Amino acid sequence: MRPATRWAARFLCDLPLVSCILFFAELARSVPLGINWSLFFGELVSGLTLGSIYALIALGYTMVYGILKLLNFAHGDVYMVGAFIGYFVLHWLGGPLSPAVTGWFAVGVMFAVAMLGCGALGVGIERFAYRRLRDAPRIAPLISALGVSIFLQNTALLLWGPQFRDYDTFDLVGVKSYHIGTNFFISNVQILTISVSIGLTIVLALVVSRTRTGKAMRATSFDRDAAEMMGISIDRVISFTFFIGSALAAAGGVMFGLVFGQIFSLMGFTAGLKGFTAAVVGGIGSIPGAVLGGFLIGLTEAFATGYLPGGSVYANLYVFALLIAMFLIRPSGLLGSPAIQKV
Amino acid sequence: MKKLVVAATLAAAVAVLATAAWGSTSASHKVAAPANAGGALVKCGKSRAIGLLAPITGPAASLGQPQVHWAQYYLSTYNKTHKAKYHFVKEDTQLGSANGTAAAVAGAKALGSNAAVLGVVGPAGSNEVKATTGALKGAGLGFVSGSATNTQITLDGTRTGYFFRTVPPDSSQSKSVAKYITSTLKVKHVYIIDDQEAYSTGLADEVQAQLKAKGVDVGRDGVSQQQSDFTSLINKIPRSMQLVYLPWQLPPKAKAFGQQMKSLGRGSTKLMGSDGLFDPAFSGLGSNTYDSFFPLNPSDKRVAAYKKIHHATELFGAPSYVATQVVVGAVDRACKNGTASRAEVRAQIKKTKIPAATSLLGLPVAFDAHGDMVKKPFGIYHSVKGVFVRVG
Repeated sequence: MRPATRWAARFLCDLPLVSCILFFAELARSVPLGINWSLFFGELVSGLTLGSIYALIALGYTMVYGILKLLNFAHGDVYMVGAFIGYFVLHWLGGPLSPAVTGWFAVGVMFAVAMLGCGALGVGIERFAYRRLRDAPRIAPLISALGVSIFLQNTALLLWGPQFRDYDTFDLVGVKSYHIGTNFFISNVQILTISVSIGLTIVLALVVSRTRTGKAMRATSFDRDAAEMMGISIDRVISFTFFIGSALAAAGGVMFGLVFGQIFSLMGFTAGLKGFTAAVVGGIGSIPGAVLGGFLIGLTEAFATGYLPGGSVYANLYVFALLIAMFLIRPSGLLGSPAIQKV
Repeated sequence: MKKLVVAATLAAAVAVLATAAWGSTSASHKVAAPANAGGALVKCGKSRAIGLLAPITGPAASLGQPQVHWAQYYLSTYNKTHKAKYHFVKEDTQLGSANGTAAAVAGAKALGSNAAVLGVVGPAGSNEVKATTGALKGAGLGFVSGSATNTQITLDGTRTGYFFRTVPPDSSQSKSVAKYITSTLKVKHVYIIDDQEAYSTGLADEVQAQLKAKGVDVGRDGVSQQQSDFTSLINKIPRSMQLVYLPWQLPPKAKAFGQQMKSLGRGSTKLMGSDGLFDPAFSGLGSNTYDSFFPLNPSDKRVAAYKKIHHATELFGAPSYVATQVVVGAVDRACKNGTASRAEVRAQIKKTKIPAATSLLGLPVAFDAHGDMVKKPFGIYHSVKGVFVRVG
């Protein structure tokens, strides 16, 4: 190739990266320099809260990808189903205004039933939509995942309609706001969300690193055929992975309802995309990466809303710009390892 | 055998969904006759049809359902005392849903192609009015909204002679709101958050201009209608702001916003909504909540009768009662010789004159050259024990 042609080709390849750098440089220029600590801490708490939910969704994406190399695009809709299960359990317990049990106990039951229900749903999805396609070309399960996503979305619309449903968290648990000094405010529901998310992540990390099932999961992820030859039941491991991933998504759905007050049938689409973005940014296949990615996406969204021009309307623009930048700078994600192929 | 069971289960699921989907579409699009041009004459007969475009389902269903009830209430009382019997051909506009305005346009086209429909009540939102104008105007249909308040939709000339409304425009609403904020509440710092829709941005612009003219410090921001997390935006609102003005159309969203304000320790900040938030979901936020709403005569005996029938306290749909009254009156007059065209109905809508005594609004209903009511005041309401009470 001639030098001029090579330069032209290189310029064209680098154009998106250069555009991204220019874009963020332009944004940085418009950020006010004086620090408003109240705003800073507010956005920090909002970002961590939102990031906790994204992290739980991202964990499901990353676990399934780690085991099956499948992007389970139905995962966001499992999260939506989890939020609805939580809502119906709440009303089965008498509703937020007159629950048959104490508010916090009702919240515990909502989490438990939603996680079990979605875990079962995840296992069902894997059994009926993905298992037969395990050895098919990789595009086939991807299309199947999109089909399951649309099926779940439309079933939810058909069964529950497009209207918003209120968790009425204020009536249920009595939301309280705590403050340290005049700048740092956090509500009890935000504390619950962040701590439950961290707690579930620690439990997951322990399951994966300390139990026989976790060891089987790691073995399957490393080399499925070899794991099978060692006597590991691949079907059982994959079902367990789907169960855990879907249960975590359900917990995220219930958290969303508790923190933001309302849920709706199409809430899974954008949340699923954000969870996927978090998994990719963190390094898909990496559990700590998914959590890191989730918090990073949540913080980006919150700080973009608080500080960047038009941020409250176009926060998603900044989030997905981050995804593109990550793809360009580090395609394997923050904690992901580049795939090495033997040639 | 396993394969057979799986295949049978899938087939059954698909069949159930397909049946349900077919049922819902066939119910709303039964008639698909050739389009009736605006001038084509239709034999009136005893059974007459008018269209109704409203958000029957979707995020704004809590506003759309009352409109349907009030409109239906007018028809049922009318049908009891007249030989001609009217019925609605209803189309769901799903305002605020992920479909955007596509459902509204599809509904308007269905009404346009239904030869029996001579006039239309609705649509509810200004965005839907803009989106459906092509379909309704192309079919020659006059349409009367009981809630679309964007100032420009009558003044831009795009739908003059076709579109009318039984609610005052935002220009009137913004004056009442700004006056109440400055004169009665004595507020000096206001933060306005629009929801990026035509109705919302138009009203926000007008209120902002009015407040600035009165020397008020005004901050401005926006959200998307699909958004549920407002915490980051709330953090951004300076603590010096005494009142947040929300010209939105989705009461559940405003409720979530108010609750998130409280959860972040901002419960003492006043909230003021627009006519789109005149709903128990918003008034339930507490005594720091205010709203602006259409004029209405609450002592009218029809209001009491409606409340008794529907066990409801809401009044949002009341102007849709008047919109139905306008369309039915126009069809009646156009049908005097036994036939009527859509063009004749439009001409009769323009000539509407409902005296104050028989108008539910407590003021006479007549239209100016643009399609706006000649008299157009707005009321201000305050939430007392979870219910809006008129205070201005």
